[in-house]
Amino acid sequence: MTFGVRTFSILGLLMTWPAIARDIHYGAVNDPQLLHCDRMYWGGKLAEAGNCYRDLLSGDAVAAIRAEAAWALGDLQLANRLFKEAAGENPDDATVRVRWGDLFADSHQDGEAMNIYREALTIDPDNAFATLSAARVLVGAFDEAANTYLEPLLSDSTRDAGARAAAWLVVARVSLENSRFSEGADALDKAQELLEQNDWPLLELYALRAAADLLDNVTESDYTAMSLDANPHFGGIYATPAHFYVITRRYRDAIDLYQKAVDVDPKLAAAHEELGVNLLRDNQMSRARKHLELAYQEDPFSPKAVNTLRLLDSFEDFRLINDPETPQPGVLPITFRLHRDEAAIIAPYALELVRESIAEFTGRYGFELKEPVVVEMYPDHEDFAVRTAGMPGIGILGATFGYVVAMDSPSGRPPEQFQWGTTLWHEMAHVFTLEATDHLVPRWFSEGVSVFEEWRSGPNPGVRIPMAVYNAMKDDRFLPIAELDEGFIRPTYEEQVIVSYMQAGLVCQFIDETYGTEKLRGLLKSFKEGLQTGDAIEAVLDMSPAAFDREFEQFVGKDHGSFIDKLPEWHQTQQSISELVSDAGWPDIVGHAELLVDMLPQYIEVDSPYLSLARAKEEMNLRDEAVAALMAFWKQGGYEPVALKRLGGWLHESGRINDAIAVFQSINMVDPLDQELHGVLGELLLDQERADEALREFTIALELNPHDKATAHFRLAKAHHALGNEVETQSQLLMALDVAPNYRPAQRLLLELMGADAGN
Amino acid sequence: MSRRKILTAILCMMPALAAAEMHVVILEGRGGEDRYTEQFAAQVASIEIAASALTTKDRIHVFRNGDYSRQSVIDFFVSLEEQMLAGDRLAFYLIGHGSYDEHEYKFNIVGADLTDTDLAEMLAGLPASHQLIVNTSSSSGAIVDSLRRDDRTLILATRSGVERHATRFGSYFSAALSSDSADLDKNRIVTAEEAFRFAERQVADYFERNGQLATEHPRIDGGQAPRFGLARLGGQAPAQSDAELRRLVASRDDLNSEIEELRLRRESMTANAYQAELLDKMLRLATVEDRIEQREREIVE
Repeated sequence: MTFGVRTFSILGLLMTWPAIARDIHYGAVNDPQLLHCDRMYWGGKLAEAGNCYRDLLSGDAVAAIRAEAAWALGDLQLANRLFKEAAGENPDDATVRVRWGDLFADSHQDGEAMNIYREALTIDPDNAFATLSAARVLVGAFDEAANTYLEPLLSDSTRDAGARAAAWLVVARVSLENSRFSEGADALDKAQELLEQNDWPLLELYALRAAADLLDNVTESDYTAMSLDANPHFGGIYATPAHFYVITRRYRDAIDLYQKAVDVDPKLAAAHEELGVNLLRDNQMSRARKHLELAYQEDPFSPKAVNTLRLLDSFEDFRLINDPETPQPGVLPITFRLHRDEAAIIAPYALELVRESIAEFTGRYGFELKEPVVVEMYPDHEDFAVRTAGMPGIGILGATFGYVVAMDSPSGRPPEQFQWGTTLWHEMAHVFTLEATDHLVPRWFSEGVSVFEEWRSGPNPGVRIPMAVYNAMKDDRFLPIAELDEGFIRPTYEEQVIVSYMQAGLVCQFIDETYGTEKLRGLLKSFKEGLQTGDAIEAVLDMSPAAFDREFEQFVGKDHGSFIDKLPEWHQTQQSISELVSDAGWPDIVGHAELLVDMLPQYIEVDSPYLSLARAKEEMNLRDEAVAALMAFWKQGGYEPVALKRLGGWLHESGRINDAIAVFQSINMVDPLDQELHGVLGELLLDQERADEALREFTIALELNPHDKATAHFRLAKAHHALGNEVETQSQLLMALDVAPNYRPAQRLLLELMGADAGN
Repeated sequence: MSRRKILTAILCMMPALAAAEMHVVILEGRGGEDRYTEQFAAQVASIEIAASALTTKDRIHVFRNGDYSRQSVIDFFVSLEEQMLAGDRLAFYLIGHGSYDEHEYKFNIVGADLTDTDLAEMLAGLPASHQLIVNTSSSSGAIVDSLRRDDRTLILATRSGVERHATRFGSYFSAALSSDSADLDKNRIVTAEEAFRFAERQVADYFERNGQLATEHPRIDGGQAPRFGLARLGGQAPAQSDAELRRLVASRDDLNSEIEELRLRRESMTANAYQAELLDKMLRLATVEDRIEQREREIVE
């Protein structure tokens, strides 16, 4: 089913909407008849509850209560109309608005829900459920303003007990998500006390307790049985713990639990949706589509399901490339899902990188991959975002779900912003750290190894640390090792995620250089055994986390301390260079840039002093010195493609052909869609009698639909000729001459190939 | 249309290089900023070099750096009218900035600018049977309606007057005049059509690769561009006073005609038959080309 058809079927579905559950409201609405129905539903008596709601809907209850019944029966449009009617009839009733807002939140319209909660709070500033509902929406959006709403509920015992219980459940969930297990347990205890005192159902509490058990490595929680005993159809008892598997990247375990959730509650749209999304992460496409379509049937308002189904529809524009094409003993299969417009261009380089990374990491980390690797690349970043999180708008470049890697394709971002080859290398390191630990590796270690491997062994090696991270070092913003995960999961300042990436990379560099690679392997083993960061550090490095932090601080200080002391001078000098550029003060720029290079020779970001130095030298007609500056930039890991293309051209002009080739080849790891570059590189390779590599470059150049097709075919003919492929040589020559009959070089090669000459 | 008529039509499309005199007029507008002044000067230099391989120096007229008056240009075109003959060709380049105020296009020079009305009036009286106007300025698309004529081809950096950003088209178009990549049929002649297509592609690639919305969309109006040679790659063509050379060139032209005819028959042939016949003709053509080169060397020696 395509998305177009799906869209047009919405109206039909609305007419016969099956019953869906609304969340437990803990007393937000207190009508006895409604509560009677609700308690039957919360107790798992679904048929009886359905009849009860239908009676309520068709009876003479007020509009607000009939709205609740319609909502419980799944008719959201009717519920909306009835709430609107109720709000009109009772303009001063905050409760009606809270529940109307909850309906909007339930149908994924958080903005509208918040507007209505604000109206409710205007009517009744002390309304506990308006406060609670607003907090829930804000928590879902990772908005710290949620605390402003939650705090009065948690601290004021005079507020409604049901709302306070629900607030503690929110706190418990967030605490568990942030690995603050004792805080989570305290919140659950408080919630339980309030729920039991007021006879509210314990189902959601049990689900969070089961999740807490799971996080404590208790996979068979007693709370599961207690929940199923209370309500055999409460899918949340599996879906909630499953969520915690997802956020700890244990996708296959999550799949198993979500499957159980939909087994006990086949109409639980959110569980179908998450099951589908996580099946995609495990490359189970057909099964994923089935559950996403079920989710859509139950909840057509969910943007996550709609986005993901639309993405699946778009897969018809992608090519699957398998290497090897047919399974071969002893060869790990690799599958690429690449957009058909760029598959032939990217696949050769990507395959080489993936194979190289597997060889590198297998040896280093002592772990052999056990399943085929799937690599997907998306030219549209938002498709990648949907593939990763179900929603557009995320800022990352790549994601690894185990043996499945998804990332932006080289055309997904401007080349100067994105080293696709390095990103792929980074993600392949994740495949190893995830799979070697059964996905138990903490986030910081997985990211740290990936960043460190970018620097050490990636296609464009070099320690690349953005200036924002040096600023963070100066401000002493590195986290203790035991808390480093927090920097990724709940950042507290704008640049903390990138700071955390770099800190994690430096930590791995520190361990590797100080204690040896075997300690990185040891940490992987400890994580696989279930150890948390602090315990793993103790076990493998034989020191406390605090002692580790002290040694790491010394390591960073030794390598970067002197530069951090000079940061103000660095920024001032950079500012001076910017001002001098506009005045063409090239000799002065040279002095300033050389000073900066001395301060931090490994700095190769877009404002690298090497680039200023090369520009100034070029403007001063000091070509050799400009070349030297750009060579130093490149050797430190600089990747800015325009600068490197200029460097390659200069090297070519000065006869440094092998250097030119190396520089041009590195540009392919950043900007493989530059058709002209492939042609030039191929010619250089051919001159160096590296015809097989030249053939690859020329083949890719032709795939890029060059303007000058005659030259593209002629180049291919030359490469085939050098390789002795005479049939292909003739074919390519004829294609070149078909476009350009008077193309002299092609004519000459044709005559040579056919053994003819002017005298024949 | 019969096959023979089609063939005749194709032969008529061969770029005209020697049949009539070619006049080249280049207006270099005001840059305003150093970077534009430098860019425009470089583009003009490229065009001058290309033109010098196609016509004599006295038929290349350059107004540099926007440092001339509107009236001087108008006066020049009056004088040009007297120099040109009916069969001559004109290549008129406007390299610079332009503007458009919803009513009038202006090409920016010192003092009063040249308007689209000025341009139309200047060109109206010229006897040249083929006129090519290349305007690389911003808003250049605004001149289409004022200048469109059956015997005139317009190549413009923008599709309308509202594309007002400084353009990249001129750099690419001038680069095309010395680029092997622009010479798609590899006959060593870059036609107006080839230069336009090259620059159009480069402009599109630039914006796509940089993830930017395109602020210019080049356009071509008129049908003479494929027949209007603007550059000869490799410099001046050798004189064909030698009878043997003339015979060989005629033989080459005949083979080219046969190849064009073969292409027209392609749809009615099997792939293998087409390839075999193409190979045969290409070998013969390559052999003739070898002999032409050999003869040219003998003449020089």
